[in-house]
Amino acid sequence: MSFLTNLINGLSLGSVYAIIALGYTMVYGIAKMLNFAHGDVIMIGGYVCFVSVMSLGLGAIPSILLAIILCTLLGILVERLAYKPLRQAPSLAVLITAIGVSYFLQNAALLIWGSAGKVFPSLLDGIPSLQLFDGQLTVSGKALVNIVVCLITMTVLTLFTGKTRVGKAMRAVSEDKGAAQLMGINVDATISLTFAIGSGLAAVAGVLLCSTYPMLMPTTGSMPGIKAFTAAVFGGIGSIPGALLGGLLLGVLEIFCNAYISQELSNAIVFGVLIIVLLVRPTGLLGKPIREKV
Amino acid sequence: MDTILKVDDINVFYGSIHAIKGVSFEVKQGEIVTLIGANGAGKSTTLNTISGLLHSKTGGVTFMGEDLSKTPCHKVVSKGLALVPEGRRVFLQMTVQENLEMGAYIRGKVNPDDLEHVFQRFPRLKERRKQIAGTLSGGEQQMLAMGRALMSHPKLLMLDEPSMGLAPILVEQIFDIIQELHKDGTTILLVEQNARAALHIADRGYVLETGKIVTTGTGAELLDSPAIKKAYLGG
Repeated sequence: MSFLTNLINGLSLGSVYAIIALGYTMVYGIAKMLNFAHGDVIMIGGYVCFVSVMSLGLGAIPSILLAIILCTLLGILVERLAYKPLRQAPSLAVLITAIGVSYFLQNAALLIWGSAGKVFPSLLDGIPSLQLFDGQLTVSGKALVNIVVCLITMTVLTLFTGKTRVGKAMRAVSEDKGAAQLMGINVDATISLTFAIGSGLAAVAGVLLCSTYPMLMPTTGSMPGIKAFTAAVFGGIGSIPGALLGGLLLGVLEIFCNAYISQELSNAIVFGVLIIVLLVRPTGLLGKPIREKV
Repeated sequence: MDTILKVDDINVFYGSIHAIKGVSFEVKQGEIVTLIGANGAGKSTTLNTISGLLHSKTGGVTFMGEDLSKTPCHKVVSKGLALVPEGRRVFLQMTVQENLEMGAYIRGKVNPDDLEHVFQRFPRLKERRKQIAGTLSGGEQQMLAMGRALMSHPKLLMLDEPSMGLAPILVEQIFDIIQELHKDGTTILLVEQNARAALHIADRGYVLETGKIVTTGTGAELLDSPAIKKAYLGG
């Protein structure tokens, strides 16, 4: 049974990674940039939720909504101020800017909330756990929420990009900005929308992450951010199902390493596997090599 | 006939390179006008400037009496100007039908009649409507790019090298289609390296050389001109 428990914990952690990875993958797909500040938006989401519950006294649901709204606005603002002026710049300049934004957000959090860790309120404790196999296997309410939220997000986003007019326009922009403009698609607005969606997802991930590991610090978002980025590359960056697959595999791998091999080595093993996968499949598990007809 | 497109003294730069030097020309309602010239003469640059992908330092582009020089690229298509870009640039990872839907993006919901109309003109696309555009052949991709542009109901259709890289039989087919579109009332601005084929179907032509218009005349006049014959038609 411990194997199944570990598997479920892995899927739960992997679901959070997958939601973060989605943000990376969507922004990369549309804006062709790696938004390294994405992990720090998660942290801001966590803090907003924390403040809203502890200081403003709001309930769980309004707090989560507030975190989503503020992070969405933050994402749009960061894109407008930091990335939009660099639309024509080489990608290296944008990458360095993203790292700069990441440090800016971390230090802003340090300034506002201090360096001491805050204990995140238990928002999801009210959700009942699930007993399976006559009580031999317990799936915690948090794990259930993580997995369900992740599946819902994936489904909604897949339907959005596959079926709606705006979602299809988003895919068109991700393939060829010039041709998309010729169709009458407003590329700038589409990029803003992508950042909005990605940052809203980061807020969701922040709340889930902090509920699972209830310690909040200005650097809370960095490691999960890097891991989710890894998950996105692992699954094939730019691909939504790839983010799901990469996130889940990474989460399960990490928990299994922790449980059966060594806690100290788990990160090394996880990243080692990534390197091997990329050596064999440079585009990631579900990434498609782009072939162009001339 | 009314002039629908007027290009007036445009000068376009790529950094310090002066690619278009004071080009002016016009297209009248119902015409096929062609721009011919060698590689690097500035044909595609001219079309990209009209559609707003590039900008001119001077002069302007007037379409249906409206100045387009300050219009952002994504608003140009809603004025009734559609460009089929060089190299087709269909969305390779989207299906044929989705590509056509993108063509109708500015119209909001896709009108099934428009879709049917394009499928009638290009039956091959109907067979492959669920297929990913990247799996189409070069000729089919060209048809898709043209169909996609037609979905926006353009008053003026600009085609950039539609015959590039296609087998001779397909080139003929593409030129037949251009003539059909013309017969149905679409005004066409055609950029071609295949000067002979282009001049055969064109009402008028302009010859571009290193960013300047050097000669102009009706299609037949240019076909007969000894200088043009020597330079572009292979003697």
